[in-house]
Amino acid sequence: MIRVEDIQKHFGALHVLRGITFDVKKGEAIVIIGPSGSGKSTLLRCVNLLVEPDAGKVFIDGVHVNRHGIRHEWVRQQVGMVFQSFNLFTHLSAIENVTLGLTRVKGMPHDQAVEKARKLLARVGLAAKESAYPAELSGGQQQRVAIARALAMDPKAMLFDEPTSALDPEYIREVLDVMTALAREGMTMIVVTHEMGFASNVASRILFMDAGKIIEEGTAEDIFQRPKEDRTRSFVSKILR
Amino acid sequence: METAAAFPLRAPPKLVTRITIVHLIEMIFAGILMVFLVLPAIFKFSLVNASFWQIYGRFYVTGLFGTFFYVALTLPLSVVLGFLMGWARVSRVRIFSWPASLYVNVFRGLPPLILVIFASLFGTNLVPQPIIDRFLSGFRRGDIAVGLAAIAIGMHSSAYQAEIFRAGFQSVPKGQLEAAQALGLRPWQGMRHVILPQTFRLSLPPLGNEFAGLIKDTSILAAIAGTDLVAKSRDLLGILPASGFPIFWIFAVWTVVAVTYFVLTYSVTRGLRLLERKFHTPGLEGISL
Repeated sequence: MIRVEDIQKHFGALHVLRGITFDVKKGEAIVIIGPSGSGKSTLLRCVNLLVEPDAGKVFIDGVHVNRHGIRHEWVRQQVGMVFQSFNLFTHLSAIENVTLGLTRVKGMPHDQAVEKARKLLARVGLAAKESAYPAELSGGQQQRVAIARALAMDPKAMLFDEPTSALDPEYIREVLDVMTALAREGMTMIVVTHEMGFASNVASRILFMDAGKIIEEGTAEDIFQRPKEDRTRSFVSKILR
Repeated sequence: METAAAFPLRAPPKLVTRITIVHLIEMIFAGILMVFLVLPAIFKFSLVNASFWQIYGRFYVTGLFGTFFYVALTLPLSVVLGFLMGWARVSRVRIFSWPASLYVNVFRGLPPLILVIFASLFGTNLVPQPIIDRFLSGFRRGDIAVGLAAIAIGMHSSAYQAEIFRAGFQSVPKGQLEAAQALGLRPWQGMRHVILPQTFRLSLPPLGNEFAGLIKDTSILAAIAGTDLVAKSRDLLGILPASGFPIFWIFAVWTVVAVTYFVLTYSVTRGLRLLERKFHTPGLEGISL
């Protein structure tokens, strides 16, 4: 479904991604872990071309997308993205956040978009909050609206960039539950997170990244219980504690 | 917003609240107090005076229309220019941002009076003759000069408005644009549906200040051949001593002028407050203590 081949990315003198290659099959949930600054977020952004790789290829559903002739907007409709800081549109209510992409990108009639948005808000447990503005919602609620907003575009895969890192502890559960349900329904996803419980329950594979490279790859058990690499072991011991 | 009507759950914000009405009553009360009590008490003169208005009335009305005309000419122009310059200033493209910075710094850095003098003396030379022949042939050269001077005042204000809009643009978090892109919105759609609505809401409060400033600044046109309220009032006072009317009419005239400017600026800033309330959005307003 998603294939990344030898991706390189520099930010000025900083070499952020140093040749990343991996595959995500349809219905797989991949979790990426690694210390901050290791390039996880940049890698995720390379998949939907929010960041353009300097070299290497990105394939989505077999289509080589980071080349001339492929519109970025088209690529981004194929993969939904959820951000660490939610990034809900501040001036729009919850339901308007969800309908914006439907009406403006997909050209769906307004009534139909509202109907679809209501279903999605109900699915993330927020049917009652459709007219609330983001500032009137808790962090967990905002993140669930953000998930509904991304799902509205019927993406082939979803990218989650530390979706619970900015949340107060009491709201983390509700967001992870939505994500777990999504994974169980067979959504292809790449998740950058440090939620080890979620990774163990949901991830088909875990990638450990450090300094712009994938250091180790394996099942949750492989990575958490018998890591092969020293760097993995030292990182896992810090976050498991 | 076109989508607002479809979500009836949220009641539209009340535009005219008790506070608006209380403010209005206060203002009217203060005005009545001034005209009927303070002035008569100090100067033994009431503004309800037929012979005063018989003389001043014509000057006042012509002047007021002049001021309205200058405001109607400069205010829309300054908003459009200010918005475009503010937008250009935040552009990453140098050929947009650099000229906009130059524009802002020049027009902000010169006193409006100097701009008015330059525009009225030399401005007509900058307008190509064909344009004068084709569109402005019905006007006297002097009127064109005053019009250009008014535009110069508008440009002065637009420099400040550019800074207001720039701050508005820069107050929209970067993540908003990223989210718009991630949804698959085209760049101009992200601008139109995500960035601009927020920029406008954030810019509205300081714009009220600037509009009030612009209205008052049109009085500078009295320094050249303008026909605004200040100029017409001064014209009357020029003939007053010779006409044998009481000398404290001078005070009365300027009081009327002052009150008029106050009412004008006050209603514009109040009007903008109503707009602010109409577009009120949780999360996009400051704190209130």
